[in-house]
Amino acid sequence: MAANRHTSQRLTLVMLVLASITVLTLDYHGQASHAITHVRNAVRDVISPIQRGIAVALHPVGDVFSGTIHYGSLETQNQQLREELGRIRLKLAADSYASAEAQRVLALAHLPYVAGIPLIPGEVIGNATSDFQATVELGEGTSSGVGPGMPVVANAGFVGTVVSASSSTATVLLLTDATSSIPVTIGGSGLYRALGTGWGRPLTLNYVAGTTAVHRGELVYTSGLGGGAIPAGLPVGFVRSVRVSSQGLSAAVTVTPIVNLDNLQFVDVLEWLEPG
Amino acid sequence: MTGTNWARLVPFVLVGLVFQVAVLNDVTLFGAHPDVMILIAAGAGMAAGPQRGAVAGFVAGLAADLVVNLPYGLSPLTFVLVGFGTGMLRANLASREVESTQAAACVAAAALGTLGYALLGTITGRSGMLGLVTVYAVLAVTLGALVLSWPVLRGMRWVFAGSRARLGLAVPRGGSALS
Repeated sequence: MAANRHTSQRLTLVMLVLASITVLTLDYHGQASHAITHVRNAVRDVISPIQRGIAVALHPVGDVFSGTIHYGSLETQNQQLREELGRIRLKLAADSYASAEAQRVLALAHLPYVAGIPLIPGEVIGNATSDFQATVELGEGTSSGVGPGMPVVANAGFVGTVVSASSSTATVLLLTDATSSIPVTIGGSGLYRALGTGWGRPLTLNYVAGTTAVHRGELVYTSGLGGGAIPAGLPVGFVRSVRVSSQGLSAAVTVTPIVNLDNLQFVDVLEWLEPG
Repeated sequence: MTGTNWARLVPFVLVGLVFQVAVLNDVTLFGAHPDVMILIAAGAGMAAGPQRGAVAGFVAGLAADLVVNLPYGLSPLTFVLVGFGTGMLRANLASREVESTQAAACVAAAALGTLGYALLGTITGRSGMLGLVTVYAVLAVTLGALVLSWPVLRGMRWVFAGSRARLGLAVPRGGSALS
């Protein structure tokens, strides 16, 4: 009797493991994968109103707690932001000429530039659904014009790319995700890829020669290369550290994202189609 | 599994999924969050044995994978093993009828399951699943499981109430009318 039960248990286990592997295999194939995507999108559309409702209900509560605890630092931060705004206004005036020049050069190189691309405002309604993927859920989907492949910005800095969209929601893969690879440039010279390394960790730049003049605090922009999936000129982050190897052949460069990805609430989706 | 078991398991899993997406995903620790779906698999194994644990794990996994952008099938594969393993563990636990022991076993199963998920993900070709992110995920899932394992266990005893009697599984000490 016990032997029969054990055989039955093992048979169930084997059947279910095989069924799981079959589903996993089907997901890698065209038609079945499309069907799974449709089901996933439908489920997201059903869950999103609940998700949005709970987000609306809980955010004010969280803000009250957070505001009470961090009141002092918020006042300091407010003052710092005012000062920074003044500096930025001055810099903006100086940069307008440089920006026009950059657009001219990019146009000559047939590279896309961010200015002039229509924006779709979006609200973050949920954090990552998996611990192993740095994503956020937006409350806007295909019905608002949001589609896979579109770049997402917040406070004028690059945040990530839309990887899937249902009619009412979209999933954005953040630039810190371990699979993220963004074509970037530093100060308009040098072309690299900024690779995500996971939550709370800086991005790393690959293939930086040891002789490259890269300095801490320099701004890193999207380069517009890599098939033009992301337009040029989007600020990505600041160079955090530069460490040249002992032989002096290569440099390990880390970059801190310009946008605080932990507290994203409102973003803009660039209505951007990759150039053919 | 009986019709009643299915009639209870499916809504329980769906409620768990909504709770996961709408509430738990916003409770983050080092960028990771607690996972109620893996606990459903572990709780089912602990409440109703390896066979039903594996089936419940499969159902919970299919549902869990609907809201992530990782390969579909990864969660069912992991959760089946978690449900079955927890059921087997239950059969070999000396103090298996003590509720706190069962909850502790569920916490351990959830932590190991999360590690297994990362390993299986890596084997199936997904990069970046092993490393510091795994440590954060295991930590968040374990801490979350310390709070959630008890209610999930009770829920799974309710789901498998009829089957438990047939299987001869006793009501754990400290169990409620639900169980």
